[in-house]
Amino acid sequence: MRSHFEHLLDLNKGSLDRRVFSDPEIFELELERIFARCWLLLGHESMLPKTNDFFTTYMGRDSVIVTRQPNGSIGCFLNMCRHRGNRVCRADSGNARSFSCPFHGWTFGSNGALTNVPGYKEIYLEKLDLQAHGLVPVAKIDQYKGLIFATFDANAPSLSDYLGDMAWYLDMILDRREGGIEFLPGTHKWLVHTNWKFPVDNFIGDSYHGPVSHKSAWVSGFEGMPRRKSGYGYEGFQVCPGGGHGFGTRWAENREQVFEMALPEFLEYEKSRLEESITRLGDLRGLHFSPMHASIFPNVSLLWQGSAIRVWHPKGPKLTEAWGWCFVDKAAPDDYKREKALHMVQRHGTSGTWEADDVDNWVQCHSSSEGYVARQYPQNLEMGLGDEINDPRAIHPDIRGRLGKFQSEINQRSFYTHWAKLMDDTTAPQVPTVGAASQGAPA
Amino acid sequence: MSAAAPSDDINLWFRVQAFLTAEARLLDDHALDAWLDLFSDDLRYWMPTITNRIGRDIDKSVSAFGHVAHFDDNKTSLTNRVKRLSTGMAWAETPRSRTRHLVSNVEVLAAEPNGTLQVRSNFLIYRSHLEYDAEIFSGVRHDTLRPHHNSWLICQRDIVLDQNVVTHKNLGIFF
Repeated sequence: MRSHFEHLLDLNKGSLDRRVFSDPEIFELELERIFARCWLLLGHESMLPKTNDFFTTYMGRDSVIVTRQPNGSIGCFLNMCRHRGNRVCRADSGNARSFSCPFHGWTFGSNGALTNVPGYKEIYLEKLDLQAHGLVPVAKIDQYKGLIFATFDANAPSLSDYLGDMAWYLDMILDRREGGIEFLPGTHKWLVHTNWKFPVDNFIGDSYHGPVSHKSAWVSGFEGMPRRKSGYGYEGFQVCPGGGHGFGTRWAENREQVFEMALPEFLEYEKSRLEESITRLGDLRGLHFSPMHASIFPNVSLLWQGSAIRVWHPKGPKLTEAWGWCFVDKAAPDDYKREKALHMVQRHGTSGTWEADDVDNWVQCHSSSEGYVARQYPQNLEMGLGDEINDPRAIHPDIRGRLGKFQSEINQRSFYTHWAKLMDDTTAPQVPTVGAASQGAPA
Repeated sequence: MSAAAPSDDINLWFRVQAFLTAEARLLDDHALDAWLDLFSDDLRYWMPTITNRIGRDIDKSVSAFGHVAHFDDNKTSLTNRVKRLSTGMAWAETPRSRTRHLVSNVEVLAAEPNGTLQVRSNFLIYRSHLEYDAEIFSGVRHDTLRPHHNSWLICQRDIVLDQNVVTHKNLGIFF
């Protein structure tokens, strides 16, 4: 089966074998072929304002430390002493010139260099190669407009090539105002007993579930946006820029429709920022597209209006650790930022009135991939199959990528196709050579 | 932290303890409308996040008010949370979790001349949902109780959960 992952997905029928969620062997291979290869989101540069600021996170199942190095660049290293493998940093974040291993005291600088080994002279007789025993750096680290990404594969394409046209669309968040975005302080972290692909699948293209999954929140004062009475709401599209990335967006014909889609508490701000956004991004990205939900391959998800950005850390075939942040325009007034944080906390996160109902659905979906009989019946991903929009450029000449209707599983099919392609590629990721110098991201 | 001011007022201590015990009963019995009546209209209901910090940052382990929190509610949003549960479509709580709120270590830390109390209590909550989903939440609450009709209204509740990564699928119950 190992060389036939593409067969788990039948694009003609739009069906997906449920083993991709439950098989422990597949999960182990994902750690190698997806998570050790792809560019993974570490955080935002606003989390590291000062020299020697650091935070810890995960790349796949590997714990890493992300630091603002003395030269101003951002470094990222395995959080692992090169002696016994102990974690050298037990804090979530802070400011430190060095990391001293709590086991035997090997000490590493914020640039990863091994700077002190107790007994270096007396015990090791100065024979230990200090240069070769620094913290293991990632192969590549880079930023896209403040978002910090890294990869452990030296053969990975550049971040720019990896994100492709998704980067151009991410500008709708990252570049709609002068100064870009910042992450508000505070991280939600919680465990979900489901496979990491369920939430990614949900955020990349499932604009279908809202009226059922989230009705209880909508009718109780936790609206995501004002609703239209007829049908499933506003017009929109699923946009498939390739590379396994994707997002869903509403379509606003004009300024009035942009404002109609704003919740009352955000209307004044939307009015104050819209012209700047149109000037910066043009009328497709600044006016017509009002994006809702997105995923960046493999494990990042976003909600534009919800101001939520999420990483789904894989912990096992049936265990995912969700990390959530709230992002806002840096140039926005403080009362708007506060209101956005409340919006996010009350809807999307540990106690989120939207989130909780999603999570229980993913948990239950996962359970079905564990029964022998249930597993014989594939998932259905046929929505919108053969019903793609033939000429997206006729809708707007600037549109990049493929386009499906707002309720379409085009993005899920694209995600699993890209997943299968990587899983079928047997080239081992080229992890960094021991002792390689760290490549800092531009400051 | 000052020593409990009216520590010798056993009658007050008993009444506060009885108040918090009755509140816990309402939560466990899913009598959430009656539970909401225990809170003032100017309520702040807040649960910060907890981070692992070391060295000089150790005091920052409880996130500051205004940062992204687990709960950051006023009376209106807390009321809406309760309303959501009664729609029959709040899937995360359909059926409802079985909970047992155990409240202990109750201390009246301060009593103002107008009768407003600062009360600290510990909680241990067992939650069981559907078949196997089960969790124990422990933590501490700091309540501000304002006198009201021979009893009190809770006008501020700060809840510190003893977890960094929340190990349960959601914080879909009340604390």
